[in-house]
Order: sequence, then C-alpha cells, then structure tokens
Amino acid sequence: MIEVRELTKTYVLDGQVFKAVDNVSFVIGRGEMASIIGHSGSGKTTLLSLIGGLTKPASGSVLIEGKAIWSMSDDELSGFRNRKMNFIYQFSSLVPTLTALENILLPTAFGDHGENLVDYARELLGVVGLTEKENSYPSHLSGGQQRRIAIARAFINKPDIVLADEPTGDLDEDTENEIIALFNRMNKDAGTTFVIVTHNKEIAALTGHQLKMANGIVSDISRA
Amino acid sequence: MKKIRIFTLAARNLRRKFIRTLVLLLIVAVVTGTLLSATIFISGMKNALRIGTYRLGADVLVVPEKNESQAKAALLAGEPTSFYMSRDVLKKVQAVEGVGKATAQLFIKPASFTCCANVDAFLVAFDPKMDFTIEPWLQKNLKKPLTDEEIIVGSSIPVVVGDTLPFFGTPFTVVGTMEPTGMKFFDQSVFMTMDAAYQMAENSKTKAMEPISINRDEISAVLVQDQENFNPDRVAIKIEHDVAGVKAIASDEVVSTVRRQLGGLLKGILAISAVLWGLALLMMGFAFYMIVNERQRELGLLRAMGAKKGHVFGLIISEAVAISIVGGIVGMAVGSALLLSFKNLIMHSLKLPYLLPSAVVLIELIAGAVLFAVLTGLLASLLPAVSASRMEPYEAIRKGE
Ligand SMILES: Nc1ncnc2c1ncn2[C@@H]1O[C@H](COP(=O)(O)OP(=O)(O)OP(=O)(O)O)[C@@H](O)[C@H]1O
Ligand SMILES: [Mg+2]
Repeated sequence: MIEVRELTKTYVLDGQVFKAVDNVSFVIGRGEMASIIGHSGSGKTTLLSLIGGLTKPASGSVLIEGKAIWSMSDDELSGFRNRKMNFIYQFSSLVPTLTALENILLPTAFGDHGENLVDYARELLGVVGLTEKENSYPSHLSGGQQRRIAIARAFINKPDIVLADEPTGDLDEDTENEIIALFNRMNKDAGTTFVIVTHNKEIAALTGHQLKMANGIVSDISRA
Repeated sequence: MKKIRIFTLAARNLRRKFIRTLVLLLIVAVVTGTLLSATIFISGMKNALRIGTYRLGADVLVVPEKNESQAKAALLAGEPTSFYMSRDVLKKVQAVEGVGKATAQLFIKPASFTCCANVDAFLVAFDPKMDFTIEPWLQKNLKKPLTDEEIIVGSSIPVVVGDTLPFFGTPFTVVGTMEPTGMKFFDQSVFMTMDAAYQMAENSKTKAMEPISINRDEISAVLVQDQENFNPDRVAIKIEHDVAGVKAIASDEVVSTVRRQLGGLLKGILAISAVLWGLALLMMGFAFYMIVNERQRELGLLRAMGAKKGHVFGLIISEAVAISIVGGIVGMAVGSALLLSFKNLIMHSLKLPYLLPSAVVLIELIAGAVLFAVLTGLLASLLPAVSASRMEPYEAIRKGE
C-alpha cells in the first residue's frame, strides 16, 4: 500500500517559492493499477519521484506498507528501492556502455538478488519482443526499442511497485497495447502495484484507480 | 554472460572514453616514472656513497699537495692517475698527534693498451703488513695472504678468477673479484702488493713498451685511521701543518663534496617532481570533475535503481584507481628501463658514484611508486566521487538531461 500524506514539494524559482506538489494526500492499495493524468508541468514526475524516494519532500510523508520512506537511512532507502521498487522513466534511461541485456540486469548489481537472473532477463527481453537485440548497445536501438528495454528492466528485480512515467510515450499503438497487457499480466500474476503517469485517457481508463493532477494538486477521480 | 558488477561499469566507461583514459594514464605514467627514476637514482648514489666511503676505510687520505685535485678526481670519479712522493711522509704522518694507523699506497695509471677494452683500470698497491683498507676484505674472502704474483680486481674489470692479466709486461693471476661499490675508484681498481708493484716497475724497463719508473722509496698516498676521539678534520689540518708539501683530505670532505652535489641535484629533482605531481593531480582532479558532471544523469539513474552512495563513490574511485594502477605500472616499467639504459651516460656527465640499490630496496621503491600513483588517483577523484555520491537522485537525473 502506498500512502501519501499532505505531501508538498517546493522549488525556489527566481526568488519565488513554487509548489510543484501541493499538499497532496491519497492512498493506492496493494496490487492496484493506478494512473495519474494531467497536463504537462502539473507535477506528475515530481510526485512519482517523491513516492520513489528519489527526492525529499518539503513536508508531508510517503508510507509504503506502513513504513515512512524518509525515516529510513539513505542506504536503507537505496536497498528498499533495489528490492521493492522499479521505475520506468519518461525519457531514455539506458546506460550507453551496456548492452540491452546488461542494461536489463543492471539493477541486480546493487543488491543481492540471490539466483542468477540472466535467464529471467532474457525472458523479459522476449516479452518486449527484442530477443535478437540482446547484445546491441542503446545507440544502435530505436527510441521505442530503448523504451522497451527500459520497461523490461523495470521487472528484473521482481518489484512490488512499478512507478511508470509515460511508459508508452513513443510506442506505436500495437506495442503500446502489448505493454499494457504486460502490465496487466504482472499485476494479476505477481500482484505488482502500478502507478502509471499518462496523457493517454484510454490507458487511464483501463486502470482501476484514476488520479488527476493539476498545478500540483491531485484529485481522486475514481476508485474501482 | 556473467553478473554485472560495479567494476563492469567502470571498465566500460574507461573504454568508452578511450582517448581520455589514455591521456590520464599517460599523465600518471609520466609522473610515476619520473618520481621512481628520481628516487632510484638518488638512493643509488647514496648507496654508493655509503658503501664507497666504508670501503675506503680511512679517515684521512694524505697526498702530495700539488696532486690534490687528481686525488679527488680519482676518489670521486675513478679517474686513473699516478703521482708520487717520498716514503718519509709515512713516518712523519705516523708521528702526528691523533693518527692511529697509517699505511702507504701506490696509485699507478696503467698504460692504456694493457687491459680490458673500455675499462680504465687503476692499479692500487698496498702494504699487506700495515694495510687496513683491503686486508680486512682479503682476510674475509681470500683467507690467505696475497702473493706478489696475484691481484684482486674491482667488479668492473671484465675478468674472472684464474685469468691472467699483464701489467707493464708482468703477468698477474686474478685470485678474487670484489663486489660492486658504485665508486669507480674501487670498481675499476686492480689491487696488488707494494712489493709486486715495485718489482713490476723494475721489470717494466726490460719487458714493457712503455716502462714506468718508481723507486722503492716512493709512495702515492698515506691512508690514515684516526685515534678514537679525534676529529678527522682536525687530524687532517694537523697533518698538513706538521708535514710539509702534503694535502690531507678528510674522507668526510670527500663525502660532503658528493653530498653537496647530490643535495643540489636532489632539490632540483624534488622541485620538478613536486610541480609535476601537482599538475597531474590538478589535471586528474579536473578530468574526474568533468567525468562526474557529464555522467550525472547516469549516476542518478543508478541511484534510483538502488545503488547506494557507496556504490557510486566506488564506481568513480575504481575508475581512478584502475587508471592509476595501469599508469603507475607503465610509468614504473618505462622509467626504470630508461634509467637503466641511460645510467652510464647520466653518471658520466654528473661524475657521481652510483650503485643500483639492492633488490629489496628496489622492490620497495617500485611498490612505493605504484602505491603513490594509486594514492594520487584516489586523491584526484575523491572530491568528485564524494560530490557524485551526494547528489539527490532526482536532481541528478534532471540535470543530466
Ligand atoms: N528541479 C527543479 N527545479 C525547479 N523547478 C522544477 C524542478 N523540477 C520540476 N520543476 C518544476 O515543477 C513543475 C512540475 O514538473 P514535473 O516534471 O513534475 O511535471 P510533469 O507533470 O511531469 O510534466 P510533463 O508532463 O511535461 O512531464 C514544472 O513546472 C517544473 O518546471
Ligand atoms: Mg513528467
């Protein structure tokens, strides 16, 4: 369960305090598929980063399974991210010096994930339809292919929570549908909680829990 | 495919920026090479000085006044020379207050064609009954007195025990070779007894193409050991005062002459090394500052994936250390190779004694140099690594865009 309580994130721009996330509270249940829609600049990425513990809020708290993430030490929080969460970024996020397969495996370098996950990485590569690109470097992949590798990477650590920032932004409709199907499968089979930021109302409509964001403020539109 | 490790990332990054890696590596190599060859060089000279003056075994060397510079040149640079004075000097020196033991030696510059291709051999004749400079070595190593047909040679003379070497028409048998000292005066010397030398001189009149004439009452130098509690400088002054026409060189003086030359050299080398090191540190530090800056986004992403601060810190540091180790080893190898191949040239132009430090010291110096290179890399990358690890992941990812 993700619990967001009176969360505020401010930036100082030209001497003015600007609230990118403004006193936001909501709850996303365990195993839910949630979507956040909103205009550009409304604070969606900032909110996801706050939930993922990538940036510190000015005030308020984020509780994951009842644990306030900002009460953890930096190392604990890193370890928590490494085991329990994963991100899909709005922009290209592959490491240029690693091959597709290595990029997918990268999160496993920062924690003990026990078993050898190479086979699982190959399986994920197959799921996103890029088996033949296993040894390609990002510079030799199209934008959409890079995106699919990043999506595959988001599942390598078998996370409880996936925070996806416009995950299908540069994908064609067919591929987009495949990715959404993948998310649904992961959600059903592994009980993975998804928070998906999207502009796409159709995708939002497919999720059980819809949030709308405008000027840093979140409103819960629906709870299925 | 193996597991991905932090080091995989570091290695890939170094390979990706190959030219930059190479340049940094060369910088480390140059600094390490310079520092290492400078220290080997200096410690080699100190080594030679220590062993050489110990081998001399005398506190004061008494020579004819007019031959002072020749005597010093012989001692310091091993330039063969011949000069003579009356044997009376020995008795007079023995009578001087503060003189403990005194013994006479003959220095003879052999005719150039006598021996040994390119080595300037230098004949030193000593008095087996009174000598305290060669005798202790003989007793320890030869374990029998040196006969008048036998010689001991310094380490630079290219002969082996059992060889026969003719000097001025008289053949001598090599019965011992001395270990190297780094001082040409010793390493290029051929030691024989006084009697053998006089006999050789006499025979030369009939046997040699270039005969020499030395009378039985001629000697080249008197070597003095002070009595305890007497200062060599004082004794030297006293000898010069009491005995007419001689120059008394305290061995301290010889040492201090070398020390002075060495000191100047040392300061120069040290200053150059320090500047070089400072520059290297700055350049490397700047390079790593840039490396961290341009990789902010990547580092932020790693943090988001669960890399701890320590992982990011370790990534940057291991890149620096990898460069430093390889650079250090390259510099060490090239530096020592250059030093060894140009050793003779350097020594010749500096006119200083030199002896390669012992293997143990050498290994210590080499290990020290590589360690030093690694420390340099660590130091240069420390601040960038700390600042990289401290970035907030979200800020790092955004800024890198
Ligand atoms: N580090 C920062 N410094 C200053 N302002 C920031 C910073 N990060 C975000 N902002 C501002 O906060 C606001 C919200 O940004 P955010 O990236 O969260 O928007 P978004 O909803 O994800 O937009 P988009 O749909 O275009 O991705 C924007 O106005 C942005 O300019
Ligand atoms: Mg955004």
